[in-house]
Amino acid sequence: MVTAETAAFAAPVAKAERTAQFRTVAGWLWSGALLVVLAFLVLYPVAMLLLGALTNTNPVVDGFGVFDLSLENFLTVLGNPNVHDALVNSLIACTGGTALAVAIGLAFSWIVVRTNTPCKDFIGAASLIPLFVPPLVAAIAWSILGSPKSGLINTLMKWAGLDWRIDVYSMPGLIVVFGMYYAPYVYMFTASALRNMDPNLEEAAEITGAGPLRTLFTVTFPLIAPAIISGMLLSFIVMLGIYGIPAVLGAPANIPVLTTYIFKLTNWSPPLYSTAAAVAIILMVVTGALVVLQQGVLSGRSFTTVAGKAFRPRSLDLGPWRWLTFALALLYLFVVVVLPTLALIVAAFRRFLFIPSAASLFDMRHYSLIHFDSIFDNPLTMRSIWNTMEVGLVTALAGGVLAFAIGYTIHRSHAPGRRGIDLISTLPVAIPGLVIGVAYLWAWIGLPGGLYGTIWILALAFIARFMPDTVKALSTSFLQIHKELEEAAWVCGRGLLGTIRTIVLPLARPGTIAAMTLLFILAIRELGSSLFLYTSDTTVMAVLLLDYYEGGNTGKAAAFSLVQTALLAVLIGFATWLSGGGTNTSVGRAG
Amino acid sequence: MKVKSILAALGLVAALATPAAAQNFGPPELIEAAKKEGRLIYYTANFAEVEQEVIKAFNKRFPQIRVEMVRAPGGQLITRVKTEAAAGKLAADVVDHSDRALMKDLVDLFQDYAPPNAADYLPDVLISPKLWPRVTLVWSIAYNSALIKNPPKSWMDLTKPEYGNKQIGQVIAPSGGTTWTRVMFERQVLGEDYWKKQAATNPVLYPSGAPASDSLVRGEISISPLLYNIVYPKKRDGAPLEIFFAPEGAPVNPYASGVPKTAAHPNAAKLFLNWCLSEEGQTFLIKDQGNLTSLKKAPLYPEGFDPKVVKVWVPNFEQYVKLHGPWVEEWNKTYGYRQ
Repeated sequence: MVTAETAAFAAPVAKAERTAQFRTVAGWLWSGALLVVLAFLVLYPVAMLLLGALTNTNPVVDGFGVFDLSLENFLTVLGNPNVHDALVNSLIACTGGTALAVAIGLAFSWIVVRTNTPCKDFIGAASLIPLFVPPLVAAIAWSILGSPKSGLINTLMKWAGLDWRIDVYSMPGLIVVFGMYYAPYVYMFTASALRNMDPNLEEAAEITGAGPLRTLFTVTFPLIAPAIISGMLLSFIVMLGIYGIPAVLGAPANIPVLTTYIFKLTNWSPPLYSTAAAVAIILMVVTGALVVLQQGVLSGRSFTTVAGKAFRPRSLDLGPWRWLTFALALLYLFVVVVLPTLALIVAAFRRFLFIPSAASLFDMRHYSLIHFDSIFDNPLTMRSIWNTMEVGLVTALAGGVLAFAIGYTIHRSHAPGRRGIDLISTLPVAIPGLVIGVAYLWAWIGLPGGLYGTIWILALAFIARFMPDTVKALSTSFLQIHKELEEAAWVCGRGLLGTIRTIVLPLARPGTIAAMTLLFILAIRELGSSLFLYTSDTTVMAVLLLDYYEGGNTGKAAAFSLVQTALLAVLIGFATWLSGGGTNTSVGRAG
Repeated sequence: MKVKSILAALGLVAALATPAAAQNFGPPELIEAAKKEGRLIYYTANFAEVEQEVIKAFNKRFPQIRVEMVRAPGGQLITRVKTEAAAGKLAADVVDHSDRALMKDLVDLFQDYAPPNAADYLPDVLISPKLWPRVTLVWSIAYNSALIKNPPKSWMDLTKPEYGNKQIGQVIAPSGGTTWTRVMFERQVLGEDYWKKQAATNPVLYPSGAPASDSLVRGEISISPLLYNIVYPKKRDGAPLEIFFAPEGAPVNPYASGVPKTAAHPNAAKLFLNWCLSEEGQTFLIKDQGNLTSLKKAPLYPEGFDPKVVKVWVPNFEQYVKLHGPWVEEWNKTYGYRQ
């Protein structure tokens, strides 16, 4: 029998049940929508890439959806000696580069965190600059500096009467440039590990009579081993996916690596798209294995920080030796930042890059603005800058919103399918930019009237490629907002959207803006995935720069490199200002 | 006296007007429509810096039409055209290509087009009535005069060991139609074993003539067979280069250029080609850029090119098509160039 009292009680219960049901349905709808978006962005192109690798049909000639599936194509590619060469070269270059990056990165983090070297903070900040230099720009600068016969360094050596010459068009050259520019990845990981390390163990070692060097190698470094390995694997992964550096430095010496080989395959007549897809899969598998390895190392890293009590990292008094470490740090910055910039300036302003003597280098009659005139005479230059800004903006806005939705769903909601969303949105970590480009090409090229040939295909590829970075950057700001604040809003009767609008959005705004700016910067320097997706109307700066370089005019390429660098510097300055000083360092996997 | 001065004035006017009046760039409706379109997208396999000057010269005559150039080496350009055409997104209003054989395969993509002075062109260089020899390129041998004291004098000299050890730069055979012409010439004129002897000097290989010429100016390499139109403007502007046409012959390659059916700016495209193919255009291409011409009567020859001395070599088109695949493959093997 229903009394008035129970009826009065049942009504809100029923309402609550209806609300709960509504919530569940809405939750599923929401998660479903996110999963569809992610499937569209990530799963569909990757599936098409897999199909492409298993067929020998050409999507351009045979149209879309004609697949003559067999494993044979893939096996043929696996057996091709050219693929073996490219794979072996990739592995040698990346292993060598990583070894050097570890040596430099580790030395730097030790100098900055654990010694009393002068101007440590400046050195620490400046050592991250190479992260922002587009790899293609770095490679062009080094080709001007270190080409075997006419490189500026060699010219100066000859002038100084020294017999010593360098040749960056070689495997060692590739390794050194890789190592120098990717050392900051190792530095980022190891510096924070060194900062968080309990110095008691080192003190214990010294009390038992171990010298500083022995302590360093037997206690300190083994303790931060997970951070070293993690930074090492990350820099390896990034190098593996880079196109610009091996394209410029490897090509003259006929050293193909996986990325340059893939691009070459799609440029032949007829283009071998299915072979490119198969090689891209090899690259993805190697990268994926390394990512899994890195995740494993990261999950075990908690043992590095031992104590819960407060401590300050010890600072070793180097005495007069601190000037040596200071000089080493300056030398690195000079070689990685100052020297390449000077080389670009010389090449950009010099009419012809023939420098027979040091006197000629300083002869002002050889300098003019001719290359700048020439690049701005070309309507494609302004168009590419405009396109780049447009793609960057679309990527930043759409990618930022999507990453916000994903980050919130994963970290703050109980929506069903959260694990799936998390997994798929992290998947692109294991896919190099170039491979995303090939996957998008396969996914869209055969569809007439589709996305191919528009700005959107570039933007979507960038969003997919940088999704893990953006979600990660945003998640940090979500995790900083205490759940209590949201609960307070709930108690005050705000709905989910109202809570997001009044609490989460304002609090996460600095983080969101920072993440969007980061996405913008990553998008405007991205070359790998753009290579396969641009058309004449949608050329972006990175592609045009490659075009200028391969078009054989070093002067124009250097001038345009300076334009791109200046633009990036302004944007990064703006981003740093916007995010209050700490620009996010997950420039990460860009190349 | 008065009559004389009037006549003189008329003569002067006529002399001034001759270049414009005598030049027929197309009917007024076409020119009007082209100006209305205001732009065109120009795909070319020729060198970007060379073509940028062509566009400038065209814009002196027709400043209202903006030309947006997309440049790629021959092989890559054809891939781009095919890919975009298959996706229904061919952006080009003009396709200008070095390999007439590859263009012949794509002739269905192009619309009917002929310049006003069509009858003045040599019929043998036309592979289709839709495609025209906008430029005619000629091979020369260039060296860095600041580095080479004892220069080579012939094609055969490029096989001498004294020029070994990466002093010579070679553009790879699969680069495009012009290089294929040179490679054919080497084997058919200089001998079956020329490649082998030349490859033995261990030359540096380049994907296209543009980076090779840049390297030559920089002194990365000291000698290189190059198209005259990429080295001549550099020498003209003061680069330390010397260029010569070798006594065994100078391989010549006419381009094939046309207007795709899908062109969004067909009138501007036709006007651009009309201008390039006109006597004014060809004169500019010869005088300022060091090209030859496929006009029956050449208005002039480029500086340094004496038609009485230089033996021009034009490939047999049938062989040009037939031999391409196997010979390029053999060249790749001989020179150790991996595909």
